[in-house]
Amino acid sequence: MLRIAFSGALAILLASAASADLTVTVRNGSGSPVADAVVYLADGGGRSSTQTNIDQIDKEYVPYVTAVQKGTKINFPNHDRIRHHVYSFSEAKTFEIPLYKGTPAEPILFDKPGVVVLGCNIHDWMKAYVFVADTPHFAVTDSSGTARIAGASGGQVSVWHPRMAGQAPAKAASGGSVDLVIEEKRTWRPRRAPSAGGATYR
Amino acid sequence: MAPPTADPREGSALSFRFKSFRARILTFVLGLLLVLQGVTLLAVNEANVRNAREHVDATLAITAEAFQGTLRAREGILLEKAELLSGDFAFKEAVATGDQATLLSALENHRARVGAAVMMLVAMDGPPLVRADTLLPDVAGRLVSFPHLVSAAERSDYGVASSIEFLGGRSYQLVVTPLFMPDPMAWIVIGFTIDDSMAAELQESTGTHVSLLRHGEEGGWLPFASTLPEAERESLAGRISYDLEEADRSVAIDLAGTTFLTWVAPVGAVGETSVATVLQRSLDEALEPYLRLRAFLLVFFGAGVAVSVLGGFLLAGRVTRPVAVLVEGAERIEGGDYTQPVLVEQEDELGLLADSFNRMTRGLAERDRVRNLLGKVVSPAVAEELLSKEIELGGEERVVSVLFSDVRNFTSISERMRPQELLAMLNTYLTRVSAIVEEHEGVVDKYIGDAVMALFGAPLGHPDDALRAVRTAMGMVACLDEVNAELGLEGDLRLGMGVGVSTGTVVAGNMGSISRLNYTVIGDSVNVASRLEGLTKRYGVGVVVGASTRNACPDLRFRELDRVRVKGRKEPLAIFEPLGEEGAIEVAVAEEAARWEEALARFRSRDWDAADTLLAELAAEHPDCLVYPLYRERVAHFRAEPPPPEWDGTTTYEEK
Repeated sequence: MLRIAFSGALAILLASAASADLTVTVRNGSGSPVADAVVYLADGGGRSSTQTNIDQIDKEYVPYVTAVQKGTKINFPNHDRIRHHVYSFSEAKTFEIPLYKGTPAEPILFDKPGVVVLGCNIHDWMKAYVFVADTPHFAVTDSSGTARIAGASGGQVSVWHPRMAGQAPAKAASGGSVDLVIEEKRTWRPRRAPSAGGATYR
Repeated sequence: MAPPTADPREGSALSFRFKSFRARILTFVLGLLLVLQGVTLLAVNEANVRNAREHVDATLAITAEAFQGTLRAREGILLEKAELLSGDFAFKEAVATGDQATLLSALENHRARVGAAVMMLVAMDGPPLVRADTLLPDVAGRLVSFPHLVSAAERSDYGVASSIEFLGGRSYQLVVTPLFMPDPMAWIVIGFTIDDSMAAELQESTGTHVSLLRHGEEGGWLPFASTLPEAERESLAGRISYDLEEADRSVAIDLAGTTFLTWVAPVGAVGETSVATVLQRSLDEALEPYLRLRAFLLVFFGAGVAVSVLGGFLLAGRVTRPVAVLVEGAERIEGGDYTQPVLVEQEDELGLLADSFNRMTRGLAERDRVRNLLGKVVSPAVAEELLSKEIELGGEERVVSVLFSDVRNFTSISERMRPQELLAMLNTYLTRVSAIVEEHEGVVDKYIGDAVMALFGAPLGHPDDALRAVRTAMGMVACLDEVNAELGLEGDLRLGMGVGVSTGTVVAGNMGSISRLNYTVIGDSVNVASRLEGLTKRYGVGVVVGASTRNACPDLRFRELDRVRVKGRKEPLAIFEPLGEEGAIEVAVAEEAARWEEALARFRSRDWDAADTLLAELAAEHPDCLVYPLYRERVAHFRAEPPPPEWDGTTTYEEK
């Protein structure tokens, strides 16, 4: 499934490669590249009818941050041997898929822009973010802090990151690239329970 | 330079002198005991108090650790309970509803479930999540109560913090942890009450008073949980300072009359409020085992002193009592009482001393008897002479005045008295005249029947021995009237007396054999004195002395009686009668003596008529003086038969 998600993103990238791509680099206050940051253009409107997956592998959501256009359906395939209980109390999408194995029959539709935080009721540390964008122009930074927004050459670029402190002002892009700096805030996450006796329940 | 002991003042200045052996022994024993026991007591006292303090300090330090441990354990429990809630999905759902009443009810439910005193939920970034507080159920949406607690949590790795907080007059141990939905959305605060019962629990397990104090805004330390009674708790507030926290040892503090060993351990500063733990143990309780030991030691010490005093007293008594008995004995002996032996019934050295003392007493008594007897048999002075020197035969030449006295008509008297009466009479007489001899410090050499021989100048001499002898002689004659009166002798029975005194060189010493001897004198003077005594009745005078005696007595007036050649002597000897002390002679006596000297001179110059005329007058005036008739007879004799031309007035006596 990971490959599917990657190949989807790659397809978008390749499709717009002919036209101009907007390269966005995100760094934090100390100059380090920031991964998992969502960068998007301010232009609104439009809906997507695509579908993507957020997998559950080894009691973690993969990927950690998923950016989708409003109207995208996301399915939550469970690759572990144990059940998971996906929930969200976020305003953009409050939902719950009680304990299940395998792939749920119906994907979840995200039709309201905003950030949706996903948790697992039985694994406190499992967490994933879905950024529902009101634009088709968005991307997620890689480990080098770089993202390419396909099919766009300029505009007001905004950024969002799970640990971002406050709201960074949008920045105008020019020349096909833009550098963004965000302030990271301190946050905490529940400690992952160690595997009892090394047994695996995936 | 004199040795140190030579100067008694120095000795007395350096050391106190005991008059009594007993006091010395007691002082020594007691002093030794007091020093030894005192040092022991001090050492034990010091060690015990130090041990007690160290023990208490160690206990308090451990208790402080235990208390901190208890706080940490409670913190852990609180955290566990908060995290349980944090992971509770139903609670998250309740939170997600945003319904204040539901939220409060859920918190209350969980608080009751885990037995906490307080639970709160406060939103991290304000609305839409509301604040809920089980302590203040009616208040919603207010700001966080404990900003420093939350900010401590925000700074920590896991969003966890704890503190001790004061709210509404009560104190709480609070723990804060984030509520994950699954992002941290709110703070869950949970707390236990810190109160007296919590302190009491610790006291129960450690036996130590526990107090928790906070440093109030006013600057002083205020106890908010304590096991101390009210009075002590109130006075504790003013006695704690920051210095004590750094002492790392206990400090004795008086609280309402009780002394507490106090250990102050900081719990930490939370926000603006410092909190300290004060652990205390009563000093008296800590010292109790030692005080028991000390009481025992004191009793033991007292008993030791009593036994030592008693023992020393008895021991000293074993020495001093016999010594006192011996002193008494010595005093009796000094007073001349040899009859009572000293009684010391001990078989030690003092017993031996007493035995030897008694033997000495017997020896002394023996000697004293001998000396007494000797003093009676011989004159005391002679006895002294004999006892003081090595007794040996032989003597020394001395100038001695020898006195001979005799009862004139003793033979005729003795014929007319019974022997017992005679002896009594003689003893009375001799006692009297001997007393006169001794009065003039002469020595009675011997009694020969009624005759007395006395010495002046041996064994001890005086410069005026001759004078003493003549005075003795005159005294003896003068006392006769009294003796006669005392003995009731009248008429023919009256005692008459003649005394002869001669002075010259004699040999004085022990004579006889080595086993039996006399102290006496031998020499011409002895014979002369005896002869002179014999002449007294011929001249009708009491005392006759030789020329050497007269010459040795310038203080006395004499008159010459005659010039005689006695038996056994070729040289003529002038003889004199003492008349009395020079200057105390009666005028009549002096006049008579002068006329007599005149008559004697006429007689010697063969002027018979003149001599006879004078002698006749004198004889008529003094009919009881035999000298004048004697010379008239001689005058008559020489008239008829004139003396040869070589006659010098000397009378030769052939008989004794």
